Amino acid sequence: MRYAVIMLSLALLALPAARAQEASQEPPAETAQEEAQEPVQPPTVEERLDELDQKIRVLDRKTEIDKEAAAEKAKTAGQATAGKDGFSVKSADGNFVLKLRGYTHFDGRFFQSDDQRPATDTFTLRRVRPIFEGTVYKIFDFRIMPDFGGGQTVLQDAYIEGRFNPAFRVRGGKFKPPVGFERLQSATEILFVERAFPTNLVPNRDLGVQISGDFSGGVASYAVGLFNGVPDGGSADGDTNDDKDYAARIFFQPFVKAGGPLKNLGFGVSGSTGKQEGTLAAPGLPAFRTPAQQTFFSYRADGTAPNTVIADGDRTRLSPQGYFYTGPFGLLAEYVASKQAVRRGAAAQDLEHTAWQVAANWVLTGGEASYRSVNPKKVFDPAAHTWGAFELAARYHKQELDEDTFPTYANIASSASAAEAWAVGFNWYFNKNLRLMLDYEDTSFEGGAATGDREDEKIVFSRFQIAF
Amino acid sequence: MRIRFALPLLSLLLAAGPAAAQVKLLNVSYDPTRELYQDVNAAFAKAWKAKGGQTVTVQQSHGGSGKQARSVIDGLEADVVTLALAYDVDAVANSGLIAKNWMTRLPNNSAPYTSTVVFLVRKGNPKKIKDWEDLVRPGVSVISANPKTSGGARWNYLAAWGFALKKYGSEAKAKEFVTRLYKNVPVLDSGARGSTVTFVERGIGDVLIAWENEALIAVRELGDKGEFQIVAPSVSILAEPSVAVVDKMAAKHKTTQVAKAYLDFLYTPEGQEIAARHYYRPRNQNVVAKYAQQFPKVALFTIDEVFGGWTKAQKTHFADGGLFDQIYGAGQ
Repeated sequence: MRYAVIMLSLALLALPAARAQEASQEPPAETAQEEAQEPVQPPTVEERLDELDQKIRVLDRKTEIDKEAAAEKAKTAGQATAGKDGFSVKSADGNFVLKLRGYTHFDGRFFQSDDQRPATDTFTLRRVRPIFEGTVYKIFDFRIMPDFGGGQTVLQDAYIEGRFNPAFRVRGGKFKPPVGFERLQSATEILFVERAFPTNLVPNRDLGVQISGDFSGGVASYAVGLFNGVPDGGSADGDTNDDKDYAARIFFQPFVKAGGPLKNLGFGVSGSTGKQEGTLAAPGLPAFRTPAQQTFFSYRADGTAPNTVIADGDRTRLSPQGYFYTGPFGLLAEYVASKQAVRRGAAAQDLEHTAWQVAANWVLTGGEASYRSVNPKKVFDPAAHTWGAFELAARYHKQELDEDTFPTYANIASSASAAEAWAVGFNWYFNKNLRLMLDYEDTSFEGGAATGDREDEKIVFSRFQIAF
Repeated sequence: MRIRFALPLLSLLLAAGPAAAQVKLLNVSYDPTRELYQDVNAAFAKAWKAKGGQTVTVQQSHGGSGKQARSVIDGLEADVVTLALAYDVDAVANSGLIAKNWMTRLPNNSAPYTSTVVFLVRKGNPKKIKDWEDLVRPGVSVISANPKTSGGARWNYLAAWGFALKKYGSEAKAKEFVTRLYKNVPVLDSGARGSTVTFVERGIGDVLIAWENEALIAVRELGDKGEFQIVAPSVSILAEPSVAVVDKMAAKHKTTQVAKAYLDFLYTPEGQEIAARHYYRPRNQNVVAKYAQQFPKVALFTIDEVFGGWTKAQKTHFADGGLFDQIYGAGQ
């Protein structure tokens, strides 16, 4: 009994100590709770102000930290933009830029007279060209432009260019050699739906390397290149012989920096020289087309040696060119002479074909005439009663085949010896990206028919262009 | 023939001469070491010039330790890293930029100085902060940086956890404690220096959990005299900031020799003296004795003792989805 009482007393004595030890091993939640259960004095005005002050400071500091974090992120974050010049992505350090641009031409061709030579009125996707452009390390540009127009796939441009200096750029790949004046204009900038006859005689796209540059802010420009060489109006993705073509152009805008009424006067000359050697299977000679893309001239070719004309030697081209723009008026002129040595069997000849054009335009409202198209001052917005810019255009152009071409090298019954055309056009620029074009073109021929002259080609063109 | 090549060769040598007399290093460091390395760099440049005549310029980059490590991995061409914790240096090593045996290449596991975590409170300690437990009281506003980006904040967190583990005996109770602590944190800066700015310059919070060196700077050099005071907790963590040559970049820049000498300098008496002057706990025992009064007496545990090392601690606490993510989400 006594032992039990002692044990019970000891147990009772140990109980508070055990409870105290247990309490000390818990986080001080009970202490806080006990403190909270004690009567709490309401905060004083000063304490409330301090609390509010702290809250405001915390908010300010969080905003500051967020801004610092955003600024830090911006240093490494790329930038994506979208606008009238297309879509682009740029790295934070500016060393990598990729641009996605492109244009589409939805055309209509409606022949007004095709009794002798029936041609189909048609809508067509003349060009569908996505453009991938970019710059790496600020001075190396690249451009890749395929074309899906007409349901076909063609690689039009693919080149890299190093811009080391405004006066010294080096380009290599597939691109337009520096020869044709209207050819060098983008298809989105040309005045009419189709380019004029001089473009028939200059290279389209070729593979090569080129050095180019501008002096004094564009007062003088030059381009010199070495290319595979292509027939007139042609493009190629390889060469058929070891010889290469040299092409060069020099162009002056003497008043571009001085300003004044002659600021937009430009003139120059371009040319190319090389050799073209054809075969029976690949004669290496051009065919020439009307503005409506109908062939009006081709060399004799039936695949046999006696009756197939092939390129056989030197080819040279020369093209003086120029423009003048003042306010809403513009004038463009171009002449091309292209000489090619040809052979048919034992017969050989140097044949020189020529073409020229004069084109004028008048921007009726809302813009200035330019070699680089019209940028309307006010975009099309019916709600704001603004309509973009309207432009009238007219041109006269002619192509003449060397008279020695006939009859040995071409058949006058199927190939015309000359074609001349006049055209009027109306352009409606909704904004920098959208344009509606309406042209009427009348082309007449010398020869090109079994009896007399080939039937005149009278055609209405329409084009809806979207470009960005 | 010989004369024709001699002149160009001589020109090349002459051009290379001035280039060889100058060398640049980039030291990527953590947030609060700006003043330390300003003095270290000047002293090292002087010593190196006296030794071999070569002019060395050390450029600095500072930020949260984790962010800095990430920057180096992503391409910032550091010749050396001087980061807040070995785990961040390991992260750089795992990317292939630093040899895997980096820790053993220098004394004291490549930690030339140490520090710890203390509390900085306002004058008079109005909230009566004495130890870790006071930081979880309602109404106490605590300032600390974000452990996801700041090496110092990871030390803070682990110090709090280590205290709670020792005091309350279980991981669950420690988690509860740290959760309540972070509930009292109104602003999370990305780096330790940022949290010092928040507390000292923006006047936010009642207590700053700080690197010891930051706290000592605040008390002695920032603000009005006596505006702040240090409270040493009963227990804290031994923080060992780690240094390493970034082998791949130093080889690329041909600065390996200078980079090694730069880190060796931190262990010299002069380097240790500079560290102590900037309130980092030196390793050199003579310098320790000289500056003994400067540092508060705190019982210190190591990360290996309590957490099993950095790799384990990082995985458990600071990895995505780890305990800190659970705590901070719950705390908010």
